[in-house]
Amino acid sequence: MLKEFTKGLIKENPVFIIVLGLCPALGVSTKVINSLGMGAGVIFVLLGSNIFVSLLKDFIPDKVRIPAYIVIIASFVTIVEMVMEAFIPALYDSLGVFVPLIVVNCIILGRAEAFANKNTIKASILDALGMGIGFTLALILIALIREVFGLGTITLFPIGSFSGVIEIPGLVDSPVRVFGLAAGALLVMGFLKALFTWIEDIRRVK
Amino acid sequence: MKEVVKTGGKLAVICAVAAIALGVVNAVTEPKIAAARAARLEEALSELSVGLNIGQYVESDNQNGINGYYPLSDAGNVDAYIVDVTGAGYAGDLGLLTTISLEGEVLAAALMEDSETPGLGKEAENASYMKMYIGTGKDSVIPSSKSHLNPADADAITGASITFVGIGKALNEAADFVGQIGGM
Repeated sequence: MLKEFTKGLIKENPVFIIVLGLCPALGVSTKVINSLGMGAGVIFVLLGSNIFVSLLKDFIPDKVRIPAYIVIIASFVTIVEMVMEAFIPALYDSLGVFVPLIVVNCIILGRAEAFANKNTIKASILDALGMGIGFTLALILIALIREVFGLGTITLFPIGSFSGVIEIPGLVDSPVRVFGLAAGALLVMGFLKALFTWIEDIRRVK
Repeated sequence: MKEVVKTGGKLAVICAVAAIALGVVNAVTEPKIAAARAARLEEALSELSVGLNIGQYVESDNQNGINGYYPLSDAGNVDAYIVDVTGAGYAGDLGLLTTISLEGEVLAAALMEDSETPGLGKEAENASYMKMYIGTGKDSVIPSSKSHLNPADADAITGASITFVGIGKALNEAADFVGQIGGM
């Protein structure tokens, strides 16, 4: 049962191996804090949609399963959007258009269709957590590289007297701006995809 | 026929439950969201008033993106206006409030609403972004093209030129509007 959780971290990582959810992955990964926020939103929506799809798998008619999944997913995303705007407005402002775009994140509909509607609630919860955390870790890794080189900073949540921004000496004054742009996102994604594919090939040979 | 009604009925039940859940969450979050927006507007107006007294909001006919304005006065004389203007951004409208003197100078500006890309166009929400516009409009043109900027500022807007141009054009519209309603 534990493999349902661990498979999403590396072996079936949604971003680097299954190559799902790339639009938000590349769009929000300009700063680490955006990746953490988007990751948290996706984990919540994925968890909610997987639980409800698994729970209602015998109730939802096969012919209308996709519209039913979309209603469930869109409802969870709207709840995330409203709660985020009410209680974490800074993060809501920072993530902008990408929060409502969670609705069309392929990972969520993909896991509902490929896993949750065929498996138990327990397995679906583990799958959602594994895939959600795998997606979040992938976003953090891409954002860390892009923000460090593209802006010369690492932006986290402010805590007490800590502003939340760690400046990297040498890079903060003369960053490599291309890493912050769309081209940099594709370059970083490409190299990381190659790295993960190589790691998977080695594991398979062993 | 019976199968169609059954299938449609089940989908309708799912939609109804989702609508009820959203209604409950909306009832809880809506007052907090409204209060946060009002507080943000009040804070922005306080910063944009540049020490002058803020008058009542006057709605405009919405031409050229101008939604309305607040007169700013000192000892009964109107010295400037906070103009509520909408510009065109990369991913939708840009809702701006800008303080324009009677001479057409941009005294302050704040981006209130936008759907720009995080890390790129969204940087315009930072107060420091507006520095490249402040002080322009009287003796120099309000920048709405990269050629109006010094090399450092032009470099800083790389990747978000559409946002920069959208804000520049909106501020120019606001300055023209102030010229029409009582500027010099």
